[in-house]
Amino acid sequence: MNSLERVLAALQNQPADRPAFFINASLYGSKLTGVGLEEHYTQAHLYAEGQMAIRETFSPDLLISPFFVPAIGEAFGSRVSQRKQQAPNISVYAAASAEAALKLPLPDVDSHPRLVYLRETIRILAKAYAGEVPIFGVLVSPSDIPPLVIGLEAWLDALLFQPEVAQALLDRLTPFFVDLGKAMLSDGATGLALTANLANGFIVTDAVAETLTLPTLKRALAELPGPVILHHGGCPLVDQLARFKGLPNVVAYVLDVDEDLGRARQNLGPGPIVMGNLNGPGLLNHTPDEIQALCDRAFTQKGDDRQFILATCSADIQLDTPPECLAAITEAVCRAGGVEA
Amino acid sequence: MDRNYAQDLLHAIERADRAGAMEIVNAWAEGRSFERVVPELLSPTLEAFGVIWSKGHGGVSLATLYVASKVTEDVLARLLAEAKAKGHTHPSKGPVVLGNVEDDFHPLGRKMVVAFLRTEGWEVLDLGVDVAPAEFVDQAEACGAKVIGASAMMYTTAKNVTRIRDEIDRRGLTGRLQLAVGGAVFKLRPELVAQLGADGTAASAVEASALFEGLWKKAVAAEGALRKVPS
Repeated sequence: MNSLERVLAALQNQPADRPAFFINASLYGSKLTGVGLEEHYTQAHLYAEGQMAIRETFSPDLLISPFFVPAIGEAFGSRVSQRKQQAPNISVYAAASAEAALKLPLPDVDSHPRLVYLRETIRILAKAYAGEVPIFGVLVSPSDIPPLVIGLEAWLDALLFQPEVAQALLDRLTPFFVDLGKAMLSDGATGLALTANLANGFIVTDAVAETLTLPTLKRALAELPGPVILHHGGCPLVDQLARFKGLPNVVAYVLDVDEDLGRARQNLGPGPIVMGNLNGPGLLNHTPDEIQALCDRAFTQKGDDRQFILATCSADIQLDTPPECLAAITEAVCRAGGVEA
Repeated sequence: MDRNYAQDLLHAIERADRAGAMEIVNAWAEGRSFERVVPELLSPTLEAFGVIWSKGHGGVSLATLYVASKVTEDVLARLLAEAKAKGHTHPSKGPVVLGNVEDDFHPLGRKMVVAFLRTEGWEVLDLGVDVAPAEFVDQAEACGAKVIGASAMMYTTAKNVTRIRDEIDRRGLTGRLQLAVGGAVFKLRPELVAQLGADGTAASAVEASALFEGLWKKAVAAEGALRKVPS
């Protein structure tokens, strides 16, 4: 089986030669290519070469466009700055409040340099791996865009104390989100991976989630002509699955670190894929043997559930993670499937 | 039947009803000194949130804690205004320095901690985001702080905590200047607190004051021990 067939098997609850797996190695690709981070996050072909190196070295079953969502904030006018050991992050926001953000022009998904960069990585990877490896475009849901444009504090102020302004901003941002998602799919992305932190009860109150962010998310997802992976985005997800279950086009859920895969299945019911539950940034704290044990624990937890993809959660795998730690994941899935690594 | 103001305040904060929360505070303070609001009404309410959060959140969201910090700021603003009008000065628990570590631009958690610390009587020098290690220590020395609070969201920026540790040690302030850390990464990876050379952390912003009190005592004890060392 190739990776696309393996992932489709998980989606269709069919047997596969081995469990499919995903590693969030968006940043780590630069370690394998030796490309500086500034080039890695500005030149699409260099980023794509990083993902290809990840594929060649570790054989993950899904590849992704840059895990670099501050690029979306930059498209609205926020300033990002390059960090020494991580993806660029926002240093100055485009606006100070939700009201001010309402006056910002919507970025053009076809011409803004950073958005063009994100999309070009998808085109290159989709062409290289057509019919072989699923490529996912990374973005954020409409309610997670304002923290990249005005900051989380200003966005919480609007959601909590000015709900009508918050709704107006969500209504304004949703067409941009849909345009970007559609563009990524037309570029060749197999699907989209996104966070919805501001619809998670860990971050916002039930009232905010139920009246503002979740209804917006449902409307936006319904307009996307492709499958979606909902990523936990740093928040616990298992206890929120009742809320997120059944969202339009969502075919998989990435859990938080160490969250119980069996409980996730109970909460979701049959149908969507459960992904998890390895600590991506924390891999560097473990020996390869320990990582294989964590993979085995995940396989035990998921039992005979075929709708499962072993995945690193949380943020990027860190640059100082030894490659042996990632190879240990490959070895664990191959051993679980009885195939050669 | 007596009104349960603490319960009402808790519910108002949970509803994100900032104005309603202040109405409850003001109603409680009628016939009492407003200065009693913090120790007798607000602090117990915040402690209740802290207990719920430390036991696995129990439905308390980050937004709820954010509302609590905003109500805290409102109370503090009235308290300071009344003190100023009366020409009073509040006893301070002491000066402390807070900031986000170098390369970290996530201010929300730090701002919440600042609000709670000020309400508890700490004199907070807030240095903002992206603070260099030397700046933390320079400012702490200048204002006589015995505790630095450093906030970081991600592992890559949290590693800069070691540079603050090194700066404290290099200046011979080990023990006498304590280093508290906070932020999402320390919840995900609590072992980092010790690994990066910090002296402590708190599970939530509302528990920061208790942490700082403990660290302050350690700093005072270290100073005392130093004075006893014969030259």
